[in-house]
Amino acid sequence: MIQVENLTKVYGATTAIDALDFTIEKGEIVGFLGPNGAGKSTTMRILAGALGATSGRALVGGVDVFREPKKVKRMVGYLPERPPLYVDMTVRDFLRFCARVKGAEAPREQVERLIGRVGLEPVAHRLIDHLSKGYRQRVGIAQALVHQPQVLILDEPASGLDPAQRVEIRQLVQELAQGEVTVILSTHVLPEVEAICGRVIVIDRGSIVASDSLEALSAEGTSIRIRVARPDEKLFAALVAIEGVTAVSPSDDGRVVIAASTDVREAVAHAAVGHGLLELGGNRGLEDVYLQLTGGAA
Amino acid sequence: MNVLHIAWRELRAIFHTSVGWLVLAGWLFVTGVFWVFMVQSYVLQSQDVVFNPYAAAQLTVEDYLIEPFFGNCTIVLLMLLPGVSMRLFAEEYRQHTFELLLSSPVSTAEIVLGKYLGALGYVVVLLLATVHYPLALLQWTTPEAGVLAGGYLGLLLMSSALLAMGMLFSSLTSNQIVAMVLAFAASLTLFVLDWGAATPDDWSAKVALMPHLTDMLQGALKVSDITYFVCFALFFLFATHQRLESHRWS
Repeated sequence: MIQVENLTKVYGATTAIDALDFTIEKGEIVGFLGPNGAGKSTTMRILAGALGATSGRALVGGVDVFREPKKVKRMVGYLPERPPLYVDMTVRDFLRFCARVKGAEAPREQVERLIGRVGLEPVAHRLIDHLSKGYRQRVGIAQALVHQPQVLILDEPASGLDPAQRVEIRQLVQELAQGEVTVILSTHVLPEVEAICGRVIVIDRGSIVASDSLEALSAEGTSIRIRVARPDEKLFAALVAIEGVTAVSPSDDGRVVIAASTDVREAVAHAAVGHGLLELGGNRGLEDVYLQLTGGAA
Repeated sequence: MNVLHIAWRELRAIFHTSVGWLVLAGWLFVTGVFWVFMVQSYVLQSQDVVFNPYAAAQLTVEDYLIEPFFGNCTIVLLMLLPGVSMRLFAEEYRQHTFELLLSSPVSTAEIVLGKYLGALGYVVVLLLATVHYPLALLQWTTPEAGVLAGGYLGLLLMSSALLAMGMLFSSLTSNQIVAMVLAFAASLTLFVLDWGAATPDDWSAKVALMPHLTDMLQGALKVSDITYFVCFALFFLFATHQRLESHRWS
């Protein structure tokens, strides 16, 4: 459904994304992961036709995004990081406008159906300016769905939502995917990816560092997390020197994450005990994989 | 169709903001004051020439009331139009709503044209809101229709040119005040440019706004004047289009 070949975007002196290559099949839910500024949003904006690329190709449903943008935009629903809402309009008027410019069939009926589907009935007649963040986000999602797109690109759809609303959005996305809609979403919330994405593409500094199913990614090697009283250079040096250790990085909660190809727990314990070893734990799944892949920048 | 959807939303958005109503109120107030004062002074002049049939014949409503009134309207529009054009794109950038249009199946040309027509629609509302002034004269006299038509056409053409220019400035910044100040400075420059012109053939008189309006406000339509305003507007519409396209690809 989506094919990206050698896609590059350069802003002045900075390269936002560097020769990206990936393919997404119809009906897949793919999670984009990566630290802030890794190029996730840039890639999504390009696929949605909101931004041009410096070089490379992007095809949606076999149609070139740069050659036939109108055709692609009719197939794609896009929710940017900040939902694009005309706050001086009511929810209903706004969605009707979106339906018309996006070329939806039977705009009025479609908007009413959508208002029911994403739970906007109680606020449909209100000005968007007066809505809570959760409702605004829903209007943003409704805006992306209004022309019944085959591809949905959601840039952090769950940001600013409370846990219950997150679950709702998750269910909505899963429902859509069952209806053969292809979904790309980016998020910082790793459990969310684990809950709904069949595949994960990890981007760091403009390049893809991993693209695989979650099971495959989590199975890749093992990692150990330790907490020590006195983490210093010596400790890191000692850990790196252990046979089988592939990477050592500090995590954001003050622990040290050690990636290894074999079981190195005993050796790690031995090396760390002199630095005041407090805790030693096993793999925490996707989060560790993510930290390793992106060099602990999260 | 897309153009009309965008234009209609734009026009409604202007009336959803206080600026839209404020500009309309300001426009009606200032033009209303001008009209009342000018009618009063016309009445006084008429009393002076009551016993002089030749002077009375010279003192027509067209030359001494309607035409100067339209002349004053150009100055009011000059001050108000930057306030209309400033929000067109700057507001979209600031509110991050431009992504919606960029990711919708509409071309850049449709976006530019839609927004422009929406703003022009607002100016039509402003102009229509003043037609009762000359119509009120019908109780006493019948003003020449050509002068009225020429006057309104002149105001509309001038507005369409200045709005297009203001729209370019709005597309350059996400700060509405900056867009307004730039548009006002440029409009004023074009307004006063010919004041130093020695002859009507001076380059400055050819570029400036007023020399192209004087004949029209007297009811005399000239192809060259109309061409000037149309080309003026087209140039800035095109420039806005190029600015948005380059922004998307840079």
